Amino acid sequence: MAGLEPRVEYLESFRCPLGGLAAGRPRVLCPGPAVFVSAGSERVSVYAQGGRLLAAVYCFPAPVWQLELSAVPGLLYVLCARRGIYCLSPDPESRSMNQDDGSDQDSEDGEPPCAVISVDPDACLLPDAALCTFTVVADKLVTLAQGPAHWKVQLFECPRPGEDARLRGQVGEVELSISSPLTGPLGEPTAPRFLPVLCCVSPAGPTALHSRAQGSGGFWLERALFGLLFGVDASLLESPVILCGLPDGQLCCVVLKTLVTSKLSPGNPKALVKILHHLEEPVVFIGAVKTESLAQDVEDTHPDCLVALGHDGQVLTIKAGWDGAGTLVPELREYRLPGPVLCAACGGGGRVYHSTTSELCVVDLAQEGVPSGDLGDPPSLLCPAGLGVCSVVTLSVLSEVPEGDVRLLALSTRGRLMTCRLQLSSEVPGPTRAAAASTGQKIKDLLSGIGTVSERLSSLRKAVDQRNKALTCLNEAMNVSCILLSGREGPRPISCTLTTAWSRPQLQDVLTATCQLENSSGLRLDRGWALCVRVLTSASASDADVASAATTYTIPVDRLGPGDRREVTLPLGPGEDGVLHLPLTVSCALHYSLREVVGGARAPSESSTDSLDEFRPDILPEQDGICLPLCEHTVDVLWCLRFPGLAPAHTQAPGLLGPLCDPVDTFLGSLLGPRSEPTGPASLRAKFLPPSVATIKVSAELLRAALGDRHSAGTPLDCATLQWLLAENAALDVVRARQLSSVQGVAPDGADVHLTVREVAMTDLGAAGPLQTVEIQVESSSPASLCSAHHAVIGRLQRMVVEQAARIPGPPDLRVQCLQQTHSSHETLLREVQTLRDRLCTEDEASLHATAQRLLQVHRQLRSPSLLLV
Amino acid sequence: MSHQNPLGTSVPHTSCLDLWREKNDQLVRQAKVAQDSGLSLRRQQLAQDSLEGFRGLLHSLRGLPAAVPVLPLELTVTCNFITLRASLAQGFTEDQAQDIQQGLERVLETQKKLGPRLECGLRGLWDSVLHYSTLLLEVLPALHHLAGLQAAVWLSTDCLGDLTFLLQTLNGNQSEASENLLLLLKTWSPPAEESDAPLTLQDARGLRDILLTASAYRQGLQELITGSLPRALSSLQEAASGLCSRPVLVQVYTALGTCLRKMGNPQRALLYLAAALKGGSTCGPPLLEASRLYRQLGNTAAELESLELLVEALNVTHSFEAPQLLIEVELLLPRPHPASPLHCGTPSQAKYLLASRCLQVGRAEDAAEHYLDLLALVLDGSESKFFPPPSPPGPCMPEVFLEAAAALIQAGRAQDALTVCEELLSRTSSLLPKMPQLREDARKGTKESPHCPSWVSATYLLQGQAWVQLGAPKEAISEFSRCLELLFRTTPKDEEQGPASNREKGCISDVVLQQLRAAALISRGLQWVAVDQDTKALQDFLLSVQMCPGNQDASFHLLQTLRRMDRRHEATALWWRLKAQTELPQENAAWSLPLYLETYLDWIHSPDREALLEEFQTSLPEPHEL
Repeated sequence: MAGLEPRVEYLESFRCPLGGLAAGRPRVLCPGPAVFVSAGSERVSVYAQGGRLLAAVYCFPAPVWQLELSAVPGLLYVLCARRGIYCLSPDPESRSMNQDDGSDQDSEDGEPPCAVISVDPDACLLPDAALCTFTVVADKLVTLAQGPAHWKVQLFECPRPGEDARLRGQVGEVELSISSPLTGPLGEPTAPRFLPVLCCVSPAGPTALHSRAQGSGGFWLERALFGLLFGVDASLLESPVILCGLPDGQLCCVVLKTLVTSKLSPGNPKALVKILHHLEEPVVFIGAVKTESLAQDVEDTHPDCLVALGHDGQVLTIKAGWDGAGTLVPELREYRLPGPVLCAACGGGGRVYHSTTSELCVVDLAQEGVPSGDLGDPPSLLCPAGLGVCSVVTLSVLSEVPEGDVRLLALSTRGRLMTCRLQLSSEVPGPTRAAAASTGQKIKDLLSGIGTVSERLSSLRKAVDQRNKALTCLNEAMNVSCILLSGREGPRPISCTLTTAWSRPQLQDVLTATCQLENSSGLRLDRGWALCVRVLTSASASDADVASAATTYTIPVDRLGPGDRREVTLPLGPGEDGVLHLPLTVSCALHYSLREVVGGARAPSESSTDSLDEFRPDILPEQDGICLPLCEHTVDVLWCLRFPGLAPAHTQAPGLLGPLCDPVDTFLGSLLGPRSEPTGPASLRAKFLPPSVATIKVSAELLRAALGDRHSAGTPLDCATLQWLLAENAALDVVRARQLSSVQGVAPDGADVHLTVREVAMTDLGAAGPLQTVEIQVESSSPASLCSAHHAVIGRLQRMVVEQAARIPGPPDLRVQCLQQTHSSHETLLREVQTLRDRLCTEDEASLHATAQRLLQVHRQLRSPSLLLV
Repeated sequence: MSHQNPLGTSVPHTSCLDLWREKNDQLVRQAKVAQDSGLSLRRQQLAQDSLEGFRGLLHSLRGLPAAVPVLPLELTVTCNFITLRASLAQGFTEDQAQDIQQGLERVLETQKKLGPRLECGLRGLWDSVLHYSTLLLEVLPALHHLAGLQAAVWLSTDCLGDLTFLLQTLNGNQSEASENLLLLLKTWSPPAEESDAPLTLQDARGLRDILLTASAYRQGLQELITGSLPRALSSLQEAASGLCSRPVLVQVYTALGTCLRKMGNPQRALLYLAAALKGGSTCGPPLLEASRLYRQLGNTAAELESLELLVEALNVTHSFEAPQLLIEVELLLPRPHPASPLHCGTPSQAKYLLASRCLQVGRAEDAAEHYLDLLALVLDGSESKFFPPPSPPGPCMPEVFLEAAAALIQAGRAQDALTVCEELLSRTSSLLPKMPQLREDARKGTKESPHCPSWVSATYLLQGQAWVQLGAPKEAISEFSRCLELLFRTTPKDEEQGPASNREKGCISDVVLQQLRAAALISRGLQWVAVDQDTKALQDFLLSVQMCPGNQDASFHLLQTLRRMDRRHEATALWWRLKAQTELPQENAAWSLPLYLETYLDWIHSPDREALLEEFQTSLPEPHEL
């Protein structure tokens, strides 16, 4: 379509509303050297094409809806919204309007180079608020007014030149009925969205009639079609016919000469109005084109095809045809254009120029390629050729030479007046036959192109969705991190508690830890979060070569909403060597995996090389997540003590049961009967080794302060202390229920451990009388168990002291002399321990036993007098 | 103004009610100024401003809860608004009914009785409002005013049942038995407005009088159309005695004339028509009625004179009188219908009536002139004034052309008749079937023939006759042959599709087609006779007798030809048949032929039938001799 390349020339810019001009109201008229433009506002501008400048601007009292020029007296008729029709002579000299200097109202417009002539609101030719459109036919004015249930066509006589600008009375009137009421039952009629279209059709007749000027909205029709459409009377009378295209889609006609009615007898619509067709969508344009060019009949250049365009692209053409018998019959055809059609104009040779919201197009109805859109078939689609000019709201054909240029005058949405010059070579418009062959291929290409684009679109849409989701997740993660890291006082909104229990899944007893993750915050732990539990075994002194072994369990937290809990149970030991290495350190943390969340969103970008993608692999940090510590617990022997003696006979609570005995031992034991002594290393040790004892004395005042409310609940201090020590043990409930102050338990390795707590008063130490203390006594036949239990107790007391140090005002008065004595004796004992240890390394087998015995003894001496914490 | 005076203790306190009242009075005065203003534009503007003023005032009044002290003013403003709106729009619409309904609802609002009554419609509203209004004496005058407007709305929309009910209720159901609308209107007496009441554009009593006249006229017209003449007469006389404007009076008098004419009182009818003609500028209907009267009386001269006057009267453009800004009788009358006796049509329709009457009564020269005038009027495009064609309800334009041509031939202006025919053919040539194709079809013997309008063949027929008159039998014969060629292709069409569309397309009834064929055959036969081709003439006459056995002209022409050719046996047989036919009572033709065809058939009427029959009888041998 290279030949259709338009040359656009901008002439002038007019003020337009913010959203751009709407179609329907703006008008351009170019009857001669002057162009009349109304851009939907109150103004009508006269633009001189020759001088390329604005010649005059008329300012009317209301927005202008319609412009018409009557050629004979040379008058400009203007319809103002809700006011009526004004008439003025566009020749500035003969104007009788008052002239403003135009300075006050045009500041926003810049300096208009011409005078602004404001039209007196009282100078209305035909005041009628209901008028929607009009046309001028010779010296008659035909108006179309909106009534509550009908349209009213009225015919007036125009003022003669020289007369006072006043109508000489109504000549005729007829009502057009419509299917649906125009206005609601209440209130004033609202401004119609679509204005009706009115135009005047005259029969092409003797040349004398041709010179008779019509209004700017009229056209001629070939006589056969004219007679066929409007009847033999109209044809005989050579009467102009008014065609009305209504917003409800009706296309009807009124023979103008029959419309003349006396005042007493308004027209009978049935006799006067003929409905030609119903477009079923608002009619936006009525015109006529010449579709058949007869070589021998070059004289007859009158259009032979009536064209009506609907807003949504419906095209109706009516031609006169001859049926098989030679009788004239109307040929009605319907086509469809890609709509919506904003405005249109008919050119020569079957060309219809029309503007959609996207482009100015031309379609040639005279072409061979136009499909036959017979009525009854679904309307066939026309393929207009785009002209590359967009957003034209009104259009007028300036000049057209059959084989040469076409000049269109157009007003764009932005209020710019322009001329488009089109080069129309004869073969260009419409698809040629050769082009038709390639059209199939082209359509295929286009379709596949559309397919590709839509695929790409859907993948991009998916990517955007994923990113949005990832961003939401990240935002939540941020929030979670903030509340966890804020370090506020009080319980944390997301917490993890640890409990331990013994279970016996197989033959071996296993200590399990249960982590309970509780989300009491308002946030949601979604995809990407995981709970990490790290179990660190302390390197025991006996195998120093084994590095402390850490095991990390990672459990994904799948959707932990506000208020939800999640429990995770892990085995703590004993390990493969069958030994439970205590104490264990269990630390819990929340881990947020960036890779899981962000990585998904990155996925589509990796398949395509889109520059839109801002994710790069290097953006993800090395450390691909966030770790938020929740808690850390040290699991010592006090957690794992079992108390078979406390278990009621019928309960099978695993926490209270004794350790699993070797089945062989049990069997042998049962054989030996009740009289036999218990066997096994523990019982043997208990029998032959005197139990080791360690005591710790703690100032009662300190304990009371530390235990706080636990003590105040009426529990004796010794019981409370024992409960405190066994706080993490599964037997705590029994201990608390029975108010025990002494328990006999079994250590993980099977050795029995005896914990006794009692209140004692120390008389010798207090400076101001006896010092109230609580004595915690740990007694076990196995030194290892004793040590670990002792260590555990001391560890707890240590932590307590550190916590309480700030709160307790100060130590009570002690006898320093006594303390010093104890200290010096301990120092000598420690020195002895050192030497004994040195000897242990060097001595031979024989003396080793004696040294060990001695060492034990010294250790016992070291523990007595016991540790005192005040 | 006092309300601009802050804390004006010295100034008498003016309430809002007084301000609104003042505003109402000012708007009424403004509307009256508009009424008296001569300039139509200024008048329109002023009236429109008043209307907007009333609308705004009503808006303010309805902004407050309804209260009895304000109601009289509010209802008065409503009435003024409705009156002005209806008179500006020149008619009542749904809007007025809604305005009334809102007014009534406001009344009920003061009585806290609004709600369940709503679904009863306006009738139910009025019922309840008038029920409570006995308690609200101060509201009564305004309510009666509003009721008058409601009556006007219902009268103009023909809701006579509702109207009767309303009037019965207004009259306090005293005359419940009476269904007579006029009687009810007469008994209704709206309470007089007090002197200090707010101004109104039109008071209730004036409205009552208008309603009385309008309903009497409507009723009379209706009775006239349905044919109950004595009742129509009394209703119309009631209307004539009432208060109405001159144009309405002219209509009433004309209707009275029609009524009396139909009742067989032509002299009294003439008196009323004369009164109507004296009455005013709109003298079209009485003149038309006069022409009908004279036609009935057989006074052709007077009839044609009245028609001429009618044409002249209709040509005078009467000045457009601005309607009053009041409810007038005109607003309450039904829209004139072409079937109404008062419809007088347009100048060209009157002209056609005159021309065709002239042709019918035999004034050929006058008829020809009038037809030519009519054609000139209708066809002259350069004239700034449009004259619509007489159709409908008259004939379609081609028939007017044909009648004109017939009149011209009748008047001895054959050349002019040819011109008219040629004009008709040239102007419609593009609509005719393609003639070459037509000939081709004839040669091939194609069964399907193109549809050709009947007036085309009729034009050829008249052209032939014109040539006859010009003494050119050859041309005449060729025209008649063309005519016959077309006529024998035409098949009669049913008239069921609607006469208008058939006429438009030139469809033709069986009878008309037969008569056309017979006429063409006889005319051609006569021309053959004129050129001494008796055999061909005999063929045509024979054919025409076959075509149209009822047409005695064909038989007479055949008889003459047979006698001239000395074919005595056939002639005698035909004579016996003719004699039997003429002795039978002549059946009246139930069908009507187009005027041009009737005229034409007169031309080929054998002039001296009786003489021929007598003469033949004497020369005839006795039947037993056969």
